Amino acid sequence: MDRTVSIASPMAFSKRLLWIAGIALGLLFVLGPVYLLVKYSISDIASINTGGKPVPVWPVHPTFDVYRYLFSDHQFYSVLGNSLFIALLTVLCSMVLGVPAAYVLGRYAIPGRRIFLLAIISVRLFPDIASVIPIVEFFIRIGAHQTYWGVILAHTLLALPYVIFIGMSAFEGVPRELEEQSRVMGANRFQSFRSILLPLAVPGLAAAAIYTFLLSWDEFIFVYFLTFGRQEMFTLTLYLNGLRYAEPQNLLAATSVCLSIPVVVFSMAVQRYMITGISAGSVK
Amino acid sequence: MAVILGNVKRYVLRAWPLAPAMLYLTGFQIIVFVYLSVLSLSSSHGDEAFPTLSTFALVVGDVKFREALVNTTLFTIIGTPLELVAGLAFALLIYRSFPLRNAVRGFFMIPLALPALVTAMLIYVLFDYPGGHVNHLLMGNYPPFPMIIGEPVSWRGSHITALTLSLIGKIWRDMPISMLVILAGLNTIDPELFDAAKTMGASLRQRLFRIILPLIIPSVSTVVLLRSVEMWKEFIFPFVLAGRYRFLGTLIDFYYNDTGNSSAAAVVAIVMVVCILLTTFILFRLLDLLKRYSVRG
Repeated sequence: MDRTVSIASPMAFSKRLLWIAGIALGLLFVLGPVYLLVKYSISDIASINTGGKPVPVWPVHPTFDVYRYLFSDHQFYSVLGNSLFIALLTVLCSMVLGVPAAYVLGRYAIPGRRIFLLAIISVRLFPDIASVIPIVEFFIRIGAHQTYWGVILAHTLLALPYVIFIGMSAFEGVPRELEEQSRVMGANRFQSFRSILLPLAVPGLAAAAIYTFLLSWDEFIFVYFLTFGRQEMFTLTLYLNGLRYAEPQNLLAATSVCLSIPVVVFSMAVQRYMITGISAGSVK
Repeated sequence: MAVILGNVKRYVLRAWPLAPAMLYLTGFQIIVFVYLSVLSLSSSHGDEAFPTLSTFALVVGDVKFREALVNTTLFTIIGTPLELVAGLAFALLIYRSFPLRNAVRGFFMIPLALPALVTAMLIYVLFDYPGGHVNHLLMGNYPPFPMIIGEPVSWRGSHITALTLSLIGKIWRDMPISMLVILAGLNTIDPELFDAAKTMGASLRQRLFRIILPLIIPSVSTVVLLRSVEMWKEFIFPFVLAGRYRFLGTLIDFYYNDTGNSSAAAVVAIVMVVCILLTTFILFRLLDLLKRYSVRG
């Protein structure tokens, strides 16, 4: 199926020009704001507080001073550490719970499979902002409110459906014959899982782990409600939210860039699996 | 009996690794359901009355709630078709193959890769009052862009402009999702159909409305259903950009964190879920009618 754009006539040429203009406008629409964010982060203070003059579109005196300031700030390291700690433990919990479930749902036609899948996906269809109040109230009762474990448990709840869905497609992609042959050769179920299935499903499972890390890394609603008022537990997203009211804006932009870089880089790496997540209806 | 027991044993042996995850998810779902019900049916006046609808009456009578409901409804009604149109436009731009198509598609995906909070902050800075880029641009300070406004606009300072900012942020960030779903639908259309229509003299507009749109109705339905749900659920953009002009999501925050009224927050959460269910049901019926109409057409 050839969908190549061709220039066959003057009419086609004018349409092609229109299409090129559309692509250019699309790129401007998408990349323009990202450029301005980066520009703000490397702008000196005189380029931001201009005294009524237009803020320059290009960085007049580009500087990394604000990044230097950020990386010399103890509070920044503290929130970075909190974000990393919560995200890594969320990955651990989600994988421990999610991989075995993905294995069963991806490899076996068990009765009630559809109901299980529906129950899993329904977690993501329920609004986070609606489920956060009951969860906070429950955590207050069991003493998990304003604790790292409370945030990790909540993030695991959010990430688990993604891990299961992405893991399922990873296990489904491994040829059944390989597992069957290992069983014929005397391996038990756990041995064939550990030695055959798991190594072959690693790329997909790694994508699930990265996706979980990113979900926890930039999650805001649960961390905001679960750590409300406890500043030493703040993550990068809460730190960024706090900068909203502070001048100058280059600090806000630099923190935004720091928060975004791992997300953008890893999202590009796991784009294929993100599309799987989207088509499964588990969008966010 | 032995056969049944054997089947049960085989089922348990196969399915037990699923149990921890299912218990975890189901457990939390039960907690959410029970706590939402109990909280919403509790009195918010400090007495022990239960069950009572007094909190529902209190919330429904609150002008903040009515404003939040109107704002969120407007946000959903305006934002869902805009996201659909944006997704369709971007999908049509990269539908046909061309050099660097994958790179362009990758660039179009960037908004989705940025955290929603960062996008909200970006809009916050760009639309700053009085010295943000957008105000300077509209005041004609970046030639050759013409002057459209004489004075800078306080974008976050009025109801309509704050709502507009939230919409801009939401549509910009989530456009790639709509684009991907529609692109998947477009890829299922046989290009020979276009060639045949072109040979028979169909214009671009005719091809768009008579071939493309009817054939991608399943994708359009998916986008409309999923995006409308996401619009109702939105919290971050109005939280950062609309401040005191509350949406249902930010009203939950207001009741819970600012006034300490967990019952009222639970009531708003239930209203949000009901709105989502109602919208989904209505859209489902409407889209079903549209499918039937397009098949007949």
